[in-house]
Amino acid sequence: MNVATPSEIQERRIDTIELTINERKVTAKKGETVLEAALNAGIYIPTLCYDPDLKPYGGCRLCMVEIEGMRGLVSSCTTPATDGMVVHTETERVNRSRRITMELIIANHHGDCLTCAKNQDCELLKIGRYLGMEQEHIDHLRKSTQVLPMDKSHPAFIRDPNKCILCGKCVRACHEIAVVGAIDLAFRGYSARVATFGDKPIVESICKSCGECVARCPTGALTPKWEKPPAKEVKTICPYCGVGCSLYLGVRDNKIVSVRGDPEGSTNKGSLCVKGRWGYDFINHPERLKTPLIRLSGVTRQAEHNGKVQEIFREASWDEALELVANKLLELKQDYGADSVAALSSAKCTNEDNYAMQKFVRAVIGTNNIDHCARLCHASTVVGGIAAFGQGAMSNSYSDFKKTELFFVIGSNTTECHPVIGSIIKRRVKFDGAKLIVADPRSTELGEYAAAKLCHKPGTDVALINGLMHIIIRDGLEDKEFIQERTEGFEDMRQLVERFTPEVVEEITGVPQADLEKAARLFGEAKSACILYGMGITQHTTGTDNVKSVANLLLLTGNIGREGTGFSPLRGQNNVQGACDMGALPNVYPGYQRVDDPAVRMKFETAWGAKLSDHPGLTVTEVANAILRGDIKGLYVMGENPMLSEPHLEHTRQAMEKLEFLVVQDIFLSETAWLADVVLPAAAFAEKDGSFTNTERRVQRVRQAVLPPGEAKPDWEIISVLAEKMGQPLGYHSASQITEEIASLTPIYGGVLFDRLDHGGLQWPCPDASHPGTSFLYQDGFARGRGKFHALDYIPPAESISKGFPLVLTTGRVLEHWHTGTMSRRSNVLSELNPNGVVEMSPSDALKLGLIEGDSIVVASKRGQVEAPLHITEELPPGVVFMPFHWHEAAANILTNDALDPVAKIPEYKVSAVSAVLAVLDRATQDNAFLARLAENPAEALKEYELTTEEKAALMSGDIRKIESWLGKLDERLKTWLMLRLSQEKW
Amino acid sequence: MDFRKVKDRANSEWEAMQRSDKIRILVGMGTCGRAAGAEDVLAAINQKLAERHIQAEILQVGCIGLCYAEPLIEVVKPGKPSVFYGNLTPELVPEIIEDYLIADNPRTDLALGTRGDGDLEGIPRFFDLPVLKPQVRISLRNCGNIDPENINHYIANGGYEGLARALKMNPQEVVDEIRESGLRGRGGAGFPTGIKWQFCRDAPGDIKYIICNADEGDPGAFMDRALLEGDPHAVLEGMLIGAHAIGAKEGYIYCRAEYPLVLERLRIALRQLEEYQLIGDNILGSDFSFHLKIKEGAGAFVCGEETALMASIEGKRGMPRSRPPFPAQSGLWGKPTNINNVETWSNVSAILQRGAKWYASYGTAKSKGTKNFSLAGKVIRTGLIEVPMGITLREIVYGVGGGIPGGKHLKAVQTGGPSGGFIPAKLIDLPVDYESLAQAGAIMGSGGMVVIDEDTCMVDMTKFFLTFTQAESCGKCIPCRWGTKQMLDILEDIASGRGRPDDIELLQELAQSVKDNSLCGLGQTAPNPVLTSIRYFRNEYEEHIKKHHCAAAVCKGLVKAPCSHTCPAGIDVPRYLRFISEGKYDQALAVIREKIPFPSICGHVCPHPCETKCRRGQVDEAIAIRALKRFAAEKGNGLWKAKAKMAAATGKRVAVIGSGPAGLTTAYYLAKRGHAVTAFETLPEPGGMMRYGIPEYRLPREVLAEEIKEIKSVGVDIRTNTRIGSVDELFEHGYHAVFLAIGAHQGAKLRIEGEDSPEVIEGVSFLRDINMGNKVRVGDRIAVIGGGNVAIDASRSALRLGAKAATIIYRRTRDEMPASKEEIEEALLEGVKIEFLAAPIRIERGNGEVELTCIRMELGAVDESGRRRPVPIEGNEFSLPFDTVIAAIGQVPEAPEKLGLPLGRGNTIQVDDDTLATTREGVFAGGDAVTGPATVIEAIAAGRQAAVSIDKYLGGSGIIDEALATPEEIETLPELEEGERHRISIPTLSLSKRLCGFAEVELGLGEEMAIEEAKRCLRCDLEEDQ
Repeated sequence: MNVATPSEIQERRIDTIELTINERKVTAKKGETVLEAALNAGIYIPTLCYDPDLKPYGGCRLCMVEIEGMRGLVSSCTTPATDGMVVHTETERVNRSRRITMELIIANHHGDCLTCAKNQDCELLKIGRYLGMEQEHIDHLRKSTQVLPMDKSHPAFIRDPNKCILCGKCVRACHEIAVVGAIDLAFRGYSARVATFGDKPIVESICKSCGECVARCPTGALTPKWEKPPAKEVKTICPYCGVGCSLYLGVRDNKIVSVRGDPEGSTNKGSLCVKGRWGYDFINHPERLKTPLIRLSGVTRQAEHNGKVQEIFREASWDEALELVANKLLELKQDYGADSVAALSSAKCTNEDNYAMQKFVRAVIGTNNIDHCARLCHASTVVGGIAAFGQGAMSNSYSDFKKTELFFVIGSNTTECHPVIGSIIKRRVKFDGAKLIVADPRSTELGEYAAAKLCHKPGTDVALINGLMHIIIRDGLEDKEFIQERTEGFEDMRQLVERFTPEVVEEITGVPQADLEKAARLFGEAKSACILYGMGITQHTTGTDNVKSVANLLLLTGNIGREGTGFSPLRGQNNVQGACDMGALPNVYPGYQRVDDPAVRMKFETAWGAKLSDHPGLTVTEVANAILRGDIKGLYVMGENPMLSEPHLEHTRQAMEKLEFLVVQDIFLSETAWLADVVLPAAAFAEKDGSFTNTERRVQRVRQAVLPPGEAKPDWEIISVLAEKMGQPLGYHSASQITEEIASLTPIYGGVLFDRLDHGGLQWPCPDASHPGTSFLYQDGFARGRGKFHALDYIPPAESISKGFPLVLTTGRVLEHWHTGTMSRRSNVLSELNPNGVVEMSPSDALKLGLIEGDSIVVASKRGQVEAPLHITEELPPGVVFMPFHWHEAAANILTNDALDPVAKIPEYKVSAVSAVLAVLDRATQDNAFLARLAENPAEALKEYELTTEEKAALMSGDIRKIESWLGKLDERLKTWLMLRLSQEKW
Repeated sequence: MDFRKVKDRANSEWEAMQRSDKIRILVGMGTCGRAAGAEDVLAAINQKLAERHIQAEILQVGCIGLCYAEPLIEVVKPGKPSVFYGNLTPELVPEIIEDYLIADNPRTDLALGTRGDGDLEGIPRFFDLPVLKPQVRISLRNCGNIDPENINHYIANGGYEGLARALKMNPQEVVDEIRESGLRGRGGAGFPTGIKWQFCRDAPGDIKYIICNADEGDPGAFMDRALLEGDPHAVLEGMLIGAHAIGAKEGYIYCRAEYPLVLERLRIALRQLEEYQLIGDNILGSDFSFHLKIKEGAGAFVCGEETALMASIEGKRGMPRSRPPFPAQSGLWGKPTNINNVETWSNVSAILQRGAKWYASYGTAKSKGTKNFSLAGKVIRTGLIEVPMGITLREIVYGVGGGIPGGKHLKAVQTGGPSGGFIPAKLIDLPVDYESLAQAGAIMGSGGMVVIDEDTCMVDMTKFFLTFTQAESCGKCIPCRWGTKQMLDILEDIASGRGRPDDIELLQELAQSVKDNSLCGLGQTAPNPVLTSIRYFRNEYEEHIKKHHCAAAVCKGLVKAPCSHTCPAGIDVPRYLRFISEGKYDQALAVIREKIPFPSICGHVCPHPCETKCRRGQVDEAIAIRALKRFAAEKGNGLWKAKAKMAAATGKRVAVIGSGPAGLTTAYYLAKRGHAVTAFETLPEPGGMMRYGIPEYRLPREVLAEEIKEIKSVGVDIRTNTRIGSVDELFEHGYHAVFLAIGAHQGAKLRIEGEDSPEVIEGVSFLRDINMGNKVRVGDRIAVIGGGNVAIDASRSALRLGAKAATIIYRRTRDEMPASKEEIEEALLEGVKIEFLAAPIRIERGNGEVELTCIRMELGAVDESGRRRPVPIEGNEFSLPFDTVIAAIGQVPEAPEKLGLPLGRGNTIQVDDDTLATTREGVFAGGDAVTGPATVIEAIAAGRQAAVSIDKYLGGSGIIDEALATPEEIETLPELEEGERHRISIPTLSLSKRLCGFAEVELGLGEEMAIEEAKRCLRCDLEEDQ
């Protein structure tokens, strides 16, 4: 029993007030409105514009009440409850006024309830029923004749202004929750309506399609296009990014028919982004794998597939397919040793799937050659974090952000890649006065909210952070006590950063000294700061150094181990944290227990009843070379798509083609699966039980909503059966069984059990069944004892620009798509919103290259070339081009550099030297050396080639008809390009 | 900088200018002046001065308030009082310069007034003009007197002394001073300024803001604009004082971008303040610092609401939010903020300059000081005025404003713009202060004051305001967004004849709901025009809804042409005028005949309400419609009969009692509907008042006889010399229905001592005697008591009977006389004297004469009829000797009590408004017997109404209208003649020929005259709908 202390009682007295509502004494919290006090006391007051997540509005005027001592009627949603207040919510005057207000709404409401998508959920209808409308009254009013056109431009939802009551919830949700501001009230009086800027269709606006508006609309004014009322709802976790939003899938007839953010979701509080809200139709996509497939004999991996499955594969039974896999794996093990087989686990799969996979690889095959795509995104975080703190995970929680005074976002386009967190930051900055520093080579949306915006050159993060630390130390803003008591290695670091004066840093990073100074002061003076980062930090050959730099800055200012502070790597995939936690890494067992620690190995050997390898295995990025060297013969890929996600894809292809045996287990025929010998159909997230661990270390329950299509099975089950066929059964019959095993062997997951995950999940470390989980790390000490400073010099990226490749290519994601697009590109809404990949370029580079918006251009690096349409944007600085990597048609990773961080083995996706040229020009110059020379340098071409005076004159005057007369007919676009080029030449 | 140095510098500049021997011309260059052509006038002045090599200083000043007289200049000739000239044109400029500046003739014909020492003969002193005399100029103290772009002018006139004084006081003392002054917010709500300041001053927080609300948006309001254009520093000084008192270091002036001149003047003023270091850091060496920004608004009305205004400054959509929190706690950017309007700030500077006590000496107990109004609408002298609180509306409308143009009647005054309400004419003596206006249902508002006359329809006016508020509602809250639209829709329906019986109640319910439930002041006050117009002018709504009638003849949906709409019988005036203009007189007559059976009589005696509403009257003068009707009746032949139809006999019998215009009209139409009609007449001849009331010199016997002949020709049996004793009798004789049209033939009693003397006779019987051909003797000196047509007829008849002098005694003034204007004119022309503002109190007989003692009256408060009640001036009696006294103060129906029907005021018979049915089955009544003494045309209208009702009662369709004329082909009409052409003057009998007998005074129109006059018609009935 809890006994309140006297001071608590005192506090409670101050915090609560008592008022009388309808002759009933009601207690309320100070600061609550009359409406909230009433609703909390179970007294209903009708309202159309109130939403607990939004600021009081007072627009619908249905919540009017009478309060003794106040003149007239007052809106209860905007009136603060005060002690001793006497409120009447149902007087004759109140009811009359509500009735008239409702009648006014009805007189202006067009639409038929029967055909309205909102129907049973309509708040208007509910309130109308509550108030009891009379037709006779309504008939007295003049029915509005204004019928406005609907906006059906958005693939996911319809805007019908005729059903809009202008409660403003959508507008406020857009401004206050999403912090986008795509819509607002426009026009005045009777013509007032919700509109986008310039009253354009919503898709032409800055709308981010998060659907916060649709979710909150009380009427049929905003309705999803495809949703249907569900028969049941299943609470689960979004399968997209690492934020880990909790949501309800509505199910009917074994199909997902609706999606609803979980208002109690501890991560997202009901919010979702465009992918989380609209991106689930891939589950029912016809291309889902339904049966195991076996490669037809004689069809080589080099064979072109043209999308025709039956020309490459034949359907097989599970028995046959698994028999084949088991035999082949055993064969390889026998012939070449266990280390000749490698496996890729998956950050998209559940903890249970990953655990089963790594156990299978380690215990059944007998190798540590297990890795997954964390290698490609946050390997450096794990390595760097462990080096600095002893732990590579995010140290804090989203809930901590409420207490953060200063956010430093570096190398993260948060609003595109982690939209729900992006909105939290925007809200904190816009409404609560928190400060923001953004460092990114690109101008991101968050940059617009930044007090200091640093556009540093790609790959110069260490120098930038050293520069910040230089200023902080110079100005005495470091946390001396923290450094003294909780860190080591400060002096070496200090000596090193002495060299990183603002002048030096400006030279390296291109960031003006004044901006640097400003940012350093902001960071140094903040009472609580955290650093959020993404792949802009990690995907470099200096990725580990970059992460250590981030750690340095936090340690220097004592911004770790306290509320509101922290180290916040934003994990890219839904369960990348969990996959790491589960030991889907070549060097650690679950819970980061090292494979080269004999005591640990002994524990797992005992538990799993198998002899385990004593040396770390190969990383994803080492596997390709190992194949090409002949060390790896067989590869088992679960839910990964290296054929699109690896850098230098040509190299990957060569490796894949050389494999003796390739198994791919996935939900679609990915680019990698097309090369497989055996393809195993897996269940998608909505079809299985388990758990995901999000970027804030929160383990959350994933629940089965629908049955898998055809014969598809959950990954852990496939692995289980396979292990059995290989003679070493894992013995799993349910996901929870696996969870229990995880808990028993993984100290940080010691208390993580399904029955504890129903309400918001648990954040590890959670050592035992009574532990409430850990919201932020290092309060009492670092995992490694003292926090370690690292003295880090600036090392330039592996590849630098050259005459032939004068541009820096950086890659990343777009809001609407995710990873290699296997899911998001099979969602109608997402692919309609963002149908094709583009190359982004600054206006000045485009001008230099004679390119215009929409041009098809060829981007080439030393490793290959791709063709894609051009998008010109101010968001990029000159000299940098950007490509998202989701599109196989224009795979950015054909171009990226496979140079690795020496420790974390993460490739340098963020810096590759490339060239860009108009595609038609590129083609034309391939067999026309003169044209190539002319395009490159017209004046020189004139000198180098023997031309008649007439020809020279034609070139110098840009007489395109004459030029065509000897060069042959030119493409229209090429013609205009050439004329522009010639006209700009100083002959 | 030391203020004394600043002050000295300003004073010396100002005094040098005053002492200068140079001619100085002040040109009113406010927006009102510019709109009236001041720029051209200025150019003409400069040109003329240059031409004549006159050295003069030209000062561009703000509006002095006499907008009606713009362009306005003040000419200062050294050693002379200055002279104001108004309504200038560039053409008049050289005249003034030549005549006054060169030749020293001040042109008394053009001058408005003088100011300064000395007088100029023939020119009144400017500030003694009735427009200015009641005014007290505190807020507008400098407007029109100083160059608003010269800070020295402001300082030399006491400017910034208030600030200097305030800075020597501690801030709380400044707040206290404002509290003591009793100043209340001039933005409209009237919240005490000192208390408002105290809230903000006491609110915790280091950063506070003050705001000047210059978002003037009421239609027709221009107080703030004129003030800021004419004297921006008065406002800025107030803000500086307020900032010091409240503790604000930053402030904003929120002004709409539609006021470019204001913005320019403010920017200049701010630059000067910076130059003088009167703004910025450490003002006047104190530790007070203040910075001011100008924020241009985009012209949304709702941005005048303080929370919306602040949202707009913050860069958000201008939309109000709920209070609490109040701006004093959490305003701009969430900081304590104080907002006052332009006029309040200008009063603040005056109060600190001259002290709270001085200020509080103006106004009433609760409303201190003065108030600016922009006086507009149907008033002679429109303009910007500043009057002490407590002044009555009458003093403003009639004193300052000079009354209503065209001698029209005041209907209402609208204050407070779209948020305000209508104050009816009967409340004209209402003192203008916050409480009195609120009690009347209006508000003070920011100072819009629109004068409304009889030609304004209240439904239409209300619709206008609702159109505005509806369009300007921000859309945030439902009651305002859709409630105003709903009310507007209903008003539009009413105005176009689609009103429903319960619409008035619905409007009231909606209005109350919008008032109660709206979020901000805009919505909470938007219904005020609806509520007050219903409160005071419900009858107009009812007329629109029930009778589809708009008395002011403005509602487009109801009114085809104002003339025919105003005609009680609904004669299609424009159509017959067109026929006349085309020479088709018989067609014209047929058009008239479609509605009345007495075209010629009406052509002679109709008081022609149509002409008062004639659109041409708004251009120059109304068409002479009555005279043209007479012309048509005289020239037209019997074409109308060709299409006239007689219904088959119904076998039903109707008795009509009384053969006046009402009775005969009913009889005529019922006979045509096939009923057998008998008209009973007590007197020997039919015609009622047309025969026995109206003198022959106005309506010749033959005209009457001719038209009665037509009545008889449709089968009406007229039985004269027949008095009907009771209605029962008629039913017993087999009549199925009875129409009572007994008229009002009995003169009302004077109720004074000596009334029964034989020398005292009664007006109607006097006229009846004459008309019956009886020998009527009158003495030499006749007094006629009363002011109606009977009084005029009696006095004019008396003169024709040989009286030497006739004097009308009337207790009010000529403006209130009910007799028709032209009759009064004619009477005066014929030598009738009128003793206005006199009421008889006794009659004493003396040797062969009577002594009539009267008491002098004065006009007091307005009575129920909307006219001012005459009040006797105690002790101010006078006596006049007369031979005969004729009492003509009104008539009542004769002995209607015998009919056994319920009677109303003045013994009139009570009937159902719509059907004219009495409480007794089958008995209907109309005409003077129902309405009291009225006009022939109203009696005809009643006759028509009765015919419709009785026909329906007897089972007929009730359709009495006929198409008698050939339909017009609009396409073939000749083009409308443009250009100015004045109304013809109607030929009359020469004065010398008049008084020797009863020969007709007015002569008919000649053909050419008639055609020309008819062509003046503007054909508003053909106007396309917008």
